[in-house]
Amino acid sequence: MAKVLPKRTVVMIGGGFTSALTARQLMPKGVDVVVLERGVDRSQAAADEIPSQRDELRWALHHENAQNIATETYTVRYNSSETALPARRLEAFIPGEGVGGAADHWNGQSWRWAEYDPTLRTRLQSRYGSLPNDLLVQDWGVTYAELEPYHDLWEKLFGIAGKAGNLRGQIQVGGNPFEAPRQNEYPQPPLEVLEAGIIFDAASKKLGYKPFPLPAANSPFEYTNPDGMQLAQCQYCGHCERFICEANAKASPQLLLYPWLARHRNFELRTQVHAVGIDYDKDNKFVSGVRYIDLITGEEFLQPADVVVLAAFTMSNTKLLLISGIGTPYDPQSRRGVVGKNFCHQTMSGVNVFFQDRWINPFLAAGSSQNVVDEWNNDNFDHSGLGFQGGGYIYSNVTNGRPISSRLLPTGTPRWGSAWKKANADWYAHAFAITVHGSCYGHPENYLSLDPTYRDAFGLPLVRINFDFRENELKMSQFLTQKAAELARAAGATIVGPPTPRTSPYDVRVYQTTHITGGTPMGADPTTSVVSPHLQHWDARNLFVVGASVYPQNSGYNPTGPLGALALRLGDDLGSYIERPRQL
Amino acid sequence: MNGIALRSARGTQLSLVCAALLGLHSSVLTRADEAADGKSAFAACSACHSVDGSKRLGPSLNGIVGRKAGSVADFNYSPAMKRSSIVWDAPTLDKFLANPQQEVPGTRMPFSGLPDANKRAQIEAYLATLK
Repeated sequence: MAKVLPKRTVVMIGGGFTSALTARQLMPKGVDVVVLERGVDRSQAAADEIPSQRDELRWALHHENAQNIATETYTVRYNSSETALPARRLEAFIPGEGVGGAADHWNGQSWRWAEYDPTLRTRLQSRYGSLPNDLLVQDWGVTYAELEPYHDLWEKLFGIAGKAGNLRGQIQVGGNPFEAPRQNEYPQPPLEVLEAGIIFDAASKKLGYKPFPLPAANSPFEYTNPDGMQLAQCQYCGHCERFICEANAKASPQLLLYPWLARHRNFELRTQVHAVGIDYDKDNKFVSGVRYIDLITGEEFLQPADVVVLAAFTMSNTKLLLISGIGTPYDPQSRRGVVGKNFCHQTMSGVNVFFQDRWINPFLAAGSSQNVVDEWNNDNFDHSGLGFQGGGYIYSNVTNGRPISSRLLPTGTPRWGSAWKKANADWYAHAFAITVHGSCYGHPENYLSLDPTYRDAFGLPLVRINFDFRENELKMSQFLTQKAAELARAAGATIVGPPTPRTSPYDVRVYQTTHITGGTPMGADPTTSVVSPHLQHWDARNLFVVGASVYPQNSGYNPTGPLGALALRLGDDLGSYIERPRQL
Repeated sequence: MNGIALRSARGTQLSLVCAALLGLHSSVLTRADEAADGKSAFAACSACHSVDGSKRLGPSLNGIVGRKAGSVADFNYSPAMKRSSIVWDAPTLDKFLANPQQEVPGTRMPFSGLPDANKRAQIEAYLATLK
């Protein structure tokens, strides 16, 4: 029997990026908030202190900052006629676990999406007419203009470094000409341009593109945010993604948000508690609390609450809705139901370039110290006659020179022995990748459900991922990778590696990005979305869902920026809802 | 809010420019002025170092002047810092802040150093006021 705890006002599941931002907006209003986090706080311990912070094997390859897949993994299959099997070595993405969530080990690439992205379906239909039946592109039910003030606030809270490309409608030299209009410049100027960025910029300009520095959460200077929280200066050590910053220079929730929240009497963070269900009254469309296991004692608790915010990692949001019986599960045959639909990942590809006479030195880099062109992203170009939708940004991909995994070698190099060693010595500091960060749009056969066979350490069904790169993404990747190859040739490299578009089948052993989206899409139509444009669950009015699970499709941009905006806006919406509970 | 971002990074340079325009030279600035400027220059340090005795990513810096390097109890210093036999004063702090890895090879402080000698002097003056 679960022990029933005293009722609280708001309970949030997941101590990551979105719940902290939502909670921040509730603090001045005095709203009582409890956050439940399954992991620990890793601050001021091995993960963020030198020399242990530099342990590539431990943090980057063994994923010790991430979800422990011995406790909970996913089963995977390519289509619904197959039997899914559990991923026992998961590399395709790195889910968070611990205070800060996946944003403790992110690279810091901090985009706003295109102005049209929240209304992508409307945009594509008006430009190209009817869309293919299997292209599940949807509008969010909210416009970019409504989110802009929250983007602005999030960028100030996280000290984002960049160069505006579109200031109140005026295109700015040196920024992204495709940028959505912004009210203000970035809070900080861009990071240093690396040698690879200089090479990439020159090649881009030769082809008529307008390159710019990628917006970064790696702080180029010391910075104090509007809450008085501080970032130190980035040291370009190249231990960002998969690592917790040892210099307090990477904007992260456990650095900027949780310590600030902890100063408030109306905030409580409970760690090492694993949510196992949400109590749901289907007749009254109402949730009454969260059940969780205390991972230290093994006891089960029921935490009653007026409002529940589901803010766990993407697949966990879908899982908790499905095991709690909230909403109609998506069925790929009838295409009815919503929970688990529009599951998307990222379509990465690229080409390696080697320069005999240029000193690339990847050992000096930051997670976002890259230069970019945006001409071929999403719907920034005309897709008439191309047979696909979507695209990606193309960039000079140098984030680190870590010894185990960062070794670009020309094709044909032996895999071992003295020739391999010589090639390493020759090319380690003289190579980088020109990478496509490609979109992934919804497909009827890409969805999440509960696995009928395999269970996690708590006896709950694993999430079954039904996913592959479908025709739309394969064609997009072919097209975009050729654009990357043109840039590689224009850069004048000594050796241009073979262009390698993304191919099917999806491989969980190969890293794409941790930009896993969908499963609980937002939208104005309850027959195609799980939550409303205000992130309120259509089937439980006091339940809200936030995180990348609410994106109906994944853009060619990294997902963090709009998530920050959506989470801050949810905080304001919740404040209003708590004053007067209603359908927002 | 934009100003907040740039103040700490550029504020020092700006105040030096102003001083130059007014015909002042940094040598006429008093130690107290320096310490006041140092409090703002200390923003380069304060994301990791408290001045009130509380442990953050780095050791607290109250009472650092006159203290032996690597001697705050409960702080996990690098062996290099513990062995350094430095006693912190204006000259030793100046050398260390200019290039921490060169001065104490193996220090765990992930900071590449402050090339600006005026800024270093300001920080040293400020640190001397912390008891």
